[in-house]
Amino acid sequence: MADQLLEKVRDAAEGQIDFEGQRFAERLATALLSIVGFISFAVGFFLQDIKLALFIGLGGAALTFLVVVPPWPVYNQKPVHWLQVPGNRSAGQGIIVDGKVIS
Amino acid sequence: MHSTLVRAQNVFGFFTTVCFVVAGFIALSDFSWERKPSSTVSVKDVQVVRGRPHYYSTKKEEYAHIRFNLNTDLSSLFTWNTKQVFVYVSATWPSNSTGPRDNEAVIWDTIITSPSADHLQNIGPAAMKKLVKSAKGKSIDPSRGKLNLKNQKAKYQITSPTGKLAETDDVVLKVHYNVQPWVGMLTWTPQVDFGGWKTMKGGVSKAFTLPALKKKKEETKKKATS
Repeated sequence: MADQLLEKVRDAAEGQIDFEGQRFAERLATALLSIVGFISFAVGFFLQDIKLALFIGLGGAALTFLVVVPPWPVYNQKPVHWLQVPGNRSAGQGIIVDGKVIS
Repeated sequence: MHSTLVRAQNVFGFFTTVCFVVAGFIALSDFSWERKPSSTVSVKDVQVVRGRPHYYSTKKEEYAHIRFNLNTDLSSLFTWNTKQVFVYVSATWPSNSTGPRDNEAVIWDTIITSPSADHLQNIGPAAMKKLVKSAKGKSIDPSRGKLNLKNQKAKYQITSPTGKLAETDDVVLKVHYNVQPWVGMLTWTPQVDFGGWKTMKGGVSKAFTLPALKKKKEETKKKATS
């Protein structure tokens, strides 16, 4: 029971996502950060306010972290379906060690 | 991007890249504003006295105490990327030796902060409150670039390497500035026009001669009274 619980905690901390989710997260991070950088420069330039530019940049980066880093369900919509091991070969791989077949 | 840690590393890595690129653009944006500073400086009063470089010194040198009027319009130097502008007035006079360079010594300086850098100013709480209040709601305050000083006392008494300064001819006061940006290069008073950055208009006083030593008069006075 404790092992199972520990396994769950480990999974949550590791936060694995599927392949499609990885592609999506990568693109989202790049796009969000680029847009935030652009907005922070544009707003700072036109309002002549460097502090505002700084805070927009930092706030946008924090938002990006929040959106991309945790394993949100959006990133786990296409989990990989592994092929089932065929039942009739469950007897083993047929490896022979010391004259015995290992199952 | 398969696990939380890798995603955090990737996002942070690209965040630093974005920071550098934006900072680069901010630094480049300095060139999009014209700089056309102007100033007038004139000498009000000069005295040359003998003194010691420090208390225990046996050496005596001649020091010039200069009072001057200064009128500047440096408002075009204040943009969103300006952290502070260092303004200084120097006295320049020809060197006695055959060296190619003139003697130059700073007699007065000041730091003009942008409202975004007011907290860095090394002043007391009351003055700080006043300074912050003067630019309340403003992200930049070009009006701070307008100085109007009358009969300003020099901060620094100047002497020359030889220790002799009295009756020096062709002394001029010059106004200089140094723009210190939040990101980008420090820039000093340009000597040639550089795109929209113009040289200082005015900024040099008429040549004047330092007076003879004043001390003798005072000494005789002291002797007479004692």
